[in-house]
Amino acid sequence: MTRHPRLLAQALHRTIVGQDGVVEALVLGLLANGHVLLEGPPGLAKTLACRALASALDGEFKRIQFTPDLLPSDIVGTRIFDQHESRFSTVLGPIFANVVLADEINRAPAKVQSALLEAMQERQVTIGPQSHPLPDPFIVMATMNPLDAEGTYALPAAQMDRFLVKVDVGYPNRAEELEILERFAIGDTQPASAVATLGDVQAWRAAAHAIHLDDKLKRYIVELVAATRERETTYVDFGASPRATLAIAHLARAKALLDDRDFVVPDDVRAVAPLALRHRIGFNFRVTTENVGAPRVLERLIASVPVP
Amino acid sequence: MARLRALIAFVACVCFAQAALAQTLQRLTVTQLTLSANQGRPQVEVPFDLIVTARVRERVSELRNLDLPVLSDVELLGDSQTIVSDAHGTTYTERIRVVAHHSGTITIDPVTLDAVDARDGRAKRYSSNSLTLTIGGGIAAVAPHVDVLGILFTLLRWAIGVAALILIVRLFVRRRPAPRAQPVAQPLPPPVPVDRTAPTREDLLRDARVTLAAHRDRATVLQIRTIARGMVGATDAETLGDVLERTQAGDRVMRDLLIALERAAFTYDDDIPTAVERVLLALDAATR
Repeated sequence: MTRHPRLLAQALHRTIVGQDGVVEALVLGLLANGHVLLEGPPGLAKTLACRALASALDGEFKRIQFTPDLLPSDIVGTRIFDQHESRFSTVLGPIFANVVLADEINRAPAKVQSALLEAMQERQVTIGPQSHPLPDPFIVMATMNPLDAEGTYALPAAQMDRFLVKVDVGYPNRAEELEILERFAIGDTQPASAVATLGDVQAWRAAAHAIHLDDKLKRYIVELVAATRERETTYVDFGASPRATLAIAHLARAKALLDDRDFVVPDDVRAVAPLALRHRIGFNFRVTTENVGAPRVLERLIASVPVP
Repeated sequence: MARLRALIAFVACVCFAQAALAQTLQRLTVTQLTLSANQGRPQVEVPFDLIVTARVRERVSELRNLDLPVLSDVELLGDSQTIVSDAHGTTYTERIRVVAHHSGTITIDPVTLDAVDARDGRAKRYSSNSLTLTIGGGIAAVAPHVDVLGILFTLLRWAIGVAALILIVRLFVRRRPAPRAQPVAQPLPPPVPVDRTAPTREDLLRDARVTLAAHRDRATVLQIRTIARGMVGATDAETLGDVLERTQAGDRVMRDLLIALERAAFTYDDDIPTAVERVLLALDAATR
């Protein structure tokens, strides 16, 4: 008997106060078989949210703290010479886990980021002459801090595109902050563990894949993505790729599953579109200089497309 | 006693006459009855068309009891009728070719259609809009004895001169490229259904129920969904979630209907019969 994916969201909420958008994005990313990037200032429970998700799943979890001196082999693994056996043997890196937390991904140089992102895309790693498939399910949750620009390596657009979802983590409101104070006053709360098995995740993904997406909604998704390329020229340099179209469709199906439906409705598409589009659109400097804000431009773009 | 007998006889006659009239009337669901002209400002002695359009939900081969107005200000030259039936009903179009001999404003009285309303079984008279036209003074009417060709040539010369002058001024004055032409709003079509007994929300929903019960398909669901969204003032940019949030305190019956319609509009094909049943139940509740 498969459990409902909502249980996972409920388990995360037992650890994370508020941050409904973050929790939902993490679960949607898991259901849609994609990777999640969390961006926000320090201290907003980004790492805690990822740890809570990993703990809720009965799978293997690894955390990689990205630093400027990290090497690709520190992530994917390497071949070492065994003097006793007089031959090379392969040592697999921490990326071989079901849930991988790439903490502060923008602190490592480009070649390390590339190694991780390539593995995310290919879902296998080649070390020496041999290719090693990554475990299934495999989800990377990366965090990024937008405030400290010094000593960081910004992710290029092509690499950002590899993440199915990007979530901007915001500050909690007063009531939530008060609850954080209450909940964490005594000590560090332990996240709920083993709420779902890896088999559950695979079953959820199969169920999400089978959810009906009507032709009208497919056209709506295509129009939404086309709008990012055509409708806004003042604040946007380049629009989203077709990968965004696929991402919205996958996420909308996952959202329908989460809401206990076996068909997608326009509300699902509208809800997930910002998650899939935000990091795939090239906003230009005017967004900052004119104090407009990328979310507002995106909101306007989405609202400009008629709902079917 | 004789007076009483006469009164009874009179009432019986009236009832009989009404029943007879009702029997000859067609049973129709009239959705549109309009009167329009093919020219916004017709000219004296230049023929133009008056167009009568009637749309009914039923498939019929003729529209009996359609009364055209008396055309006193224009001369009737002829008329043609077309009647087209499809899955959604019948459209009747009549083009009346007329010509005006005098300039000024004329008013054409409304077209009327007598029928039994299929929704409630009552005999009704439907009425179109009236039409007010301003007939322009044609050249022949203004100065039949003047040299028309000479006037035309003079006007043409003036027009070319003015156009050349505007072109020269624009070439000298304009420094920047012209802004992109903004799309010009199209004039609105003539006012649609002028029905003295305007259908209420319940009428429309009852009508929708009858149609959906007859055509249990997604196309009909989508039409009803458009009508229902219109009833709650939903815009193109609003999803169902937006509408429900906005009308949170609104009536529950309408919310249930909108939710049922959303399911029927987007669910998979095998689920449509069940989804349509839900919509019919919601329509029942909305019209109860």
